Amino acid sequence: MATTETQFMLSVGLIEKDVNGDTLWVWCYPSVGSELRQVLLSKCCLTQDSRNFHTFVFGQFCRTWYYITTAEVQEPTALNKVTHFSIAVTAKDFNPEKYAAFSRILCRMYIKHGSPVKMMEAYITVLTKGICQSDENGSFLIKDHDVRKAYLAGSIKDVVSQFGMETIILYTALMLKKRIVVHHPRIEALLEFTRVLPALTWHRKDWSILHPYVHLTDAELEDLKKCPGYIAGFVDPDVSNRSDLFDVFVNLSDSVITVSQSAKAMAMGKLHKEIGQLIVQSAEDPESSDSQVIKDISVKTKEILANLVALANECEDSKITLEGLKQHHFPPATENFLFHLAAAEQLLRI
Amino acid sequence: MEEVDKILIHALKQVGTDLSEETDSVKQFSSELIVEAVVKCIRVIDPGLGNALPTLLPHGMSARFRVGMSLAQACQDIGYKGDIGYQTFLYSSEPEIRSLLMFLVEKLPRERFEASDQPSGKSVALQRAIAAAIKAQLAVPWLPPNCRLPKYCETQSLSALHSFHVKPLSLPHCTKGPAKKHLKEVTDYQRNILSPVTAQLSSRASMAVSVLEQHMAELSAAQEWDSEWNSQGLLSRLTPQEYRSRKLTRLRKRIEEQLRSAAQPSPESACGVPSSASDLSELLHAFRGSAPSDHILTKSTHFTHTQKFTFTQEAAAVTHSISVGHQLEGDTQLHQQQELAALQEQFQQLCSDVDHLSADMKLMSVTNAQVLDELKQREFGNSQNEEKMQVKKKTVDLLPDADSNLLKLQALVEASTKRVVNLAAQWEKHRAPLIDEHRRLKEICSSQDLESSRKLSEIKSLHDKIQVSTEEAKKKEETYKQLLTELENLNQDVSRSAYTQRILEIVSNIKKQKEEITKILSDTKELQKEINNLTGKLDRTFAVTDELVFKDAKKDESVRKSYKYLAALHENCNHLIQTIEDTGTILREIRDLEEQIEAENGNKTVANLERILDDYKAIRQENSALAAKVREG
Repeated sequence: MATTETQFMLSVGLIEKDVNGDTLWVWCYPSVGSELRQVLLSKCCLTQDSRNFHTFVFGQFCRTWYYITTAEVQEPTALNKVTHFSIAVTAKDFNPEKYAAFSRILCRMYIKHGSPVKMMEAYITVLTKGICQSDENGSFLIKDHDVRKAYLAGSIKDVVSQFGMETIILYTALMLKKRIVVHHPRIEALLEFTRVLPALTWHRKDWSILHPYVHLTDAELEDLKKCPGYIAGFVDPDVSNRSDLFDVFVNLSDSVITVSQSAKAMAMGKLHKEIGQLIVQSAEDPESSDSQVIKDISVKTKEILANLVALANECEDSKITLEGLKQHHFPPATENFLFHLAAAEQLLRI
Repeated sequence: MEEVDKILIHALKQVGTDLSEETDSVKQFSSELIVEAVVKCIRVIDPGLGNALPTLLPHGMSARFRVGMSLAQACQDIGYKGDIGYQTFLYSSEPEIRSLLMFLVEKLPRERFEASDQPSGKSVALQRAIAAAIKAQLAVPWLPPNCRLPKYCETQSLSALHSFHVKPLSLPHCTKGPAKKHLKEVTDYQRNILSPVTAQLSSRASMAVSVLEQHMAELSAAQEWDSEWNSQGLLSRLTPQEYRSRKLTRLRKRIEEQLRSAAQPSPESACGVPSSASDLSELLHAFRGSAPSDHILTKSTHFTHTQKFTFTQEAAAVTHSISVGHQLEGDTQLHQQQELAALQEQFQQLCSDVDHLSADMKLMSVTNAQVLDELKQREFGNSQNEEKMQVKKKTVDLLPDADSNLLKLQALVEASTKRVVNLAAQWEKHRAPLIDEHRRLKEICSSQDLESSRKLSEIKSLHDKIQVSTEEAKKKEETYKQLLTELENLNQDVSRSAYTQRILEIVSNIKKQKEEITKILSDTKELQKEINNLTGKLDRTFAVTDELVFKDAKKDESVRKSYKYLAALHENCNHLIQTIEDTGTILREIRDLEEQIEAENGNKTVANLERILDDYKAIRQENSALAAKVREG
């Protein structure tokens, strides 16, 4: 198990900012393609003009997760002429905590030794053995960082407390595999919020729809459009004008959720109200933990899906058709929802 | 004194006093002349004050007295500090008159200096000349054409007007410097074939304006280039040719883009096939082409409206319906109603079709999304499974001899790790110096940038200074030229240089005199010192001798006699000295008195006294006459 997990790491790269104000990609192992390199340079806060310093950001590009840790070089050190540097680790899996811890070790090593060779040694040790000695007490073990922990690390209760009943819009959008765009000027808030949203559809455990840090560049938007449904986080306020990119727009700083006009599938009815109330109740309960809330939501989801499967089984070849749904005379919003849900869960007859 | 008088007379002539050519000294001024001169001066100095005073001295004595008093008052108002009264004008004396006239002439406003306060420049002089000429022309009264003098024919008729036609001229450019080489053919053409400017134009009238226009165009182009180069060209750090070529390519690109964007809409509007048209206007165009009568046209446009808002693919059906409507061309109400019913049926049919199709579309899109999603998932699953299969295959291959293979694998991994780390270390040895070099060069580059921008700013400031200095130099040259012309036009009878020469001579004379006076003073002092010395010596010697001789005089008779001679000698010498001193004093007094006599003589006191007596008698007569008049009436 540990060995397959180590194969998730793809590369490690080093970006430095020097006293001339230049930001350069100085070193990487084994190799990083030029397009990905451009993207990583644009995500690294050292290339951005604003003075904001983000210690840790992560995101997804072309099915590759990248984790960028930035540190400032304090005197005295073996690195002269370098004011800041970032370490970019790319991997196939989503596990921010694991890679943050690992990057911190690499950062400390780099500051201490001033040469990336030591970093590479640590990287290979982790790659081959899954364990790495750190300068601080203890060592870094891959198996300490389980992916389930990463999935559950976010706080669903915060989401519900911020949006209340409107969380049902997010739930619906996620269930129907729609496109959600979240905007907040601060990247840390964006990352924290978006990473927990896929937990609303816990039965799929699919974090590949999450693109928490996207810029409005052609390459990234192309990559984004390849996914039918996604959660995309933008720092750029212009994204609110790009109605071609979303079905649901979440203005995180103002706590406003807007549904795009063209998203006809998002019509909501009694069923949604029921689910929404359940979510809010579960989250408001001070006793329950975040994982408890997620569990409650997933129980309800499973119930709905079980109903849908039952409906499918009534028709021939276990596939739902619209006529079949119409025979049950559901209210129109519920019918619409079930129809699209069937499509999302691949229960619809083609 | 003569020069002073000359200056005064000249100045008074300028003011307007009527002086004959022979008067060249103030002494010759009569009272009437004095009054006229003074009043004219006062009129120029202070018009308000001067206009109240008469230029002519009246005959009546009391009137003359009054005029004199008012003149004296006016002069004092202006600021004359000397002793002035009616007597200065009626019974004048030369020094007083001279000082008064000098004061007034000095007070005269300096018109000439004021003229130079106006903006200088040769063009101003030219403009003034033009203004004067136009004024003169306007002052000439208009006469009908037959009565005009030939010289006014041109200026007063319409033939002087020409319309402003500009014709392009071809001028050879003279280039200074060996940098530009003209082709031989060009120079030949310019020398032999190109006709002069006056011959290039068809009519004389447009010559001046064409030349002006050409010159203006060239000048403004040069100025624009100058300003552009100084502002942007220097900043771009290119040579002038490079800058120009870059600008040219940039402008060409823009023009191309504009033309392209303007040309694009036309191909779309050119096509008239209804089935491919999606725009309302294009549909209308197409229908206009196929339906000749207006009656059908209105119907078809109504149709197109509804068509567009429901389903654009129905355009083909519309043409069909139009041809149907075309066949039913009739004028009866029944026909129209039948048509209307048929069309409405069709409309309903089409609406239901549209509904069906939209439902189908919706279903299609949803299933499409589902299928795509499934496809993606399967693809991803496939690739993952492939990778897993690769790994499992390799493992299965190695499985038979599991333990040793495991050890071998571990050793292999360690070896490759070591090798990779080694390679990384070697790469690092190469990489680090390169990065350092890069950074170092960047630093140098940025510092050079700073340097060059600083130098650019210096160059700019120098340019500005150059401009300012050129302008100043131009202005000063113009002023110089203008002053030169003014100097030439100046009145020659008053030569300032002669005056300045004279003044300088006088100054040097005075200097010499001062030197002499100081010498004389020092000589006098010396003499006085010597006299004192000698007097003292004399006294002392006499006292000693006196004592000596007196001592012996008691005993000896001859010594007594010599003592008496000594005393007498001393006495006589003292007397002599006294007389000489008195003579000197008297001589000085004589000189002083002589001077006083001269001054008094100049005062013409006797003549004035006679006149005063006469005037007094005249006033008494007038008084008595007036008194008699009063008593009578």
